[in-house]
Amino acid sequence: MSLPFRNEVDVTLSLVGGVVVAVKIQPRARPPLARLFAGKPLTSLLDMLPRLFSLCAAAHQVAFVSAIEAARGQEVSLATRCRRIIRVLLERLTELLRGLYVGHLANDIASAAAIRGVIEATSVLVGTDAAARGPAHQEARAQAETAFTCLGFSDQDGTPTEGTPLAQAIAALEENALKVAAAEHTFLSVADDLPVVQRMFAGDTDFCDYPDLDRRVPETGVWARDMIRHQSSAKRPEPAERLRARIAEVARLYACLQAHDPEAMEDGVLVSYGSGHGRGAAVVECARGRLYYTVELDREGQITRVEFLAPTEWNFHPRGPLVRSLQGAMLAESRARQDGVRAMIGSFDPCVGFRLNLREVADA
Amino acid sequence: MCLAIPAEVIKVLPGEMAIVSVDGVSMEISIALTEDVVVGDYVLVHVGHALTKIDPAEAERTLDLLREFSGVGPELHP
Repeated sequence: MSLPFRNEVDVTLSLVGGVVVAVKIQPRARPPLARLFAGKPLTSLLDMLPRLFSLCAAAHQVAFVSAIEAARGQEVSLATRCRRIIRVLLERLTELLRGLYVGHLANDIASAAAIRGVIEATSVLVGTDAAARGPAHQEARAQAETAFTCLGFSDQDGTPTEGTPLAQAIAALEENALKVAAAEHTFLSVADDLPVVQRMFAGDTDFCDYPDLDRRVPETGVWARDMIRHQSSAKRPEPAERLRARIAEVARLYACLQAHDPEAMEDGVLVSYGSGHGRGAAVVECARGRLYYTVELDREGQITRVEFLAPTEWNFHPRGPLVRSLQGAMLAESRARQDGVRAMIGSFDPCVGFRLNLREVADA
Repeated sequence: MCLAIPAEVIKVLPGEMAIVSVDGVSMEISIALTEDVVVGDYVLVHVGHALTKIDPAEAERTLDLLREFSGVGPELHP
């Protein structure tokens, strides 16, 4: 791409005898929203967000609008809140499905058609009023269920049907599994929102580029949601398990959306925090994890400050969960030695663009 | 946080692939997740895949915004 900004993460591994001894991550450029938004009316800002963040446009819009409402002290009706959560969950489902294709099923035309089918059918199901369910609703359900079967979805535990594209993807991940060292894993949850929001309001300019909570850099996203949901650390955070968690969440999202029961997913899909004095914050749980927005308004209600913190800044932090997962890993001595590393990076986010560099360094 | 870039479809290839032009630079992408793509359409591209079709005016507005981002961003390559 000729546009002159960094749109990829650089991951550089230093190796001694095939063991990863150092991991360096150089992040992408973050849009400087405060400067891009300066002096522009609110309606034009809402139009700008999908142009900047087309992968998670609904999440950004919902978080931004909710933060402004919180700053104004506005109450939101239950119906509006429900509609917004459904938008966020539908986008989450779409992004997770897209990630399955980009990360694991690319070049499989039948899988692409099935994924398009699920996305299309779920949109119909979400758009159909419960009281007016008729043949179109039944047809959409049948379309989605046929597509899920084609991909290999079996039930909600994330284990696909044998011989299907997703089962083959899991087998490939298990074959190329990286030998990883034990590492401590913590997970970002709704319980962390307030300290994060307070740090954002405190004006620490580096915080949204390199966030931490008392030096702790927890993971956010599908795996974090799965671990919080099961309150278990028994599962190993390997790419195959992460893919199973992704498959299981897709199934749960579909079930919630087609039942019009968005609150059944998990706590904290959309949370607002009004701190008074024209300050407001909102957090949404999007496909990649927790997305934070803070805004400050002047006495006339004009935006004087806006900041956001994206999930990728936690997961791809220089001391974050991806780095911890790669540190100390043993790479296979084969032509496919990069495959395990790429699978590990992709398991955090199959849709993040990255460049991988491996360099052997002298033994100390 | 990932940015998708608008691109014009220059040629549709077999196997759900296409050649697109991004600000004058050609590249090959997958259009498997986007239905009914034809030459002249604009699509949003991310990591080598078309996300969705967009209309040309919206593509231009998005490119303008990304150029503005490039001009004010502190961490950009020259």
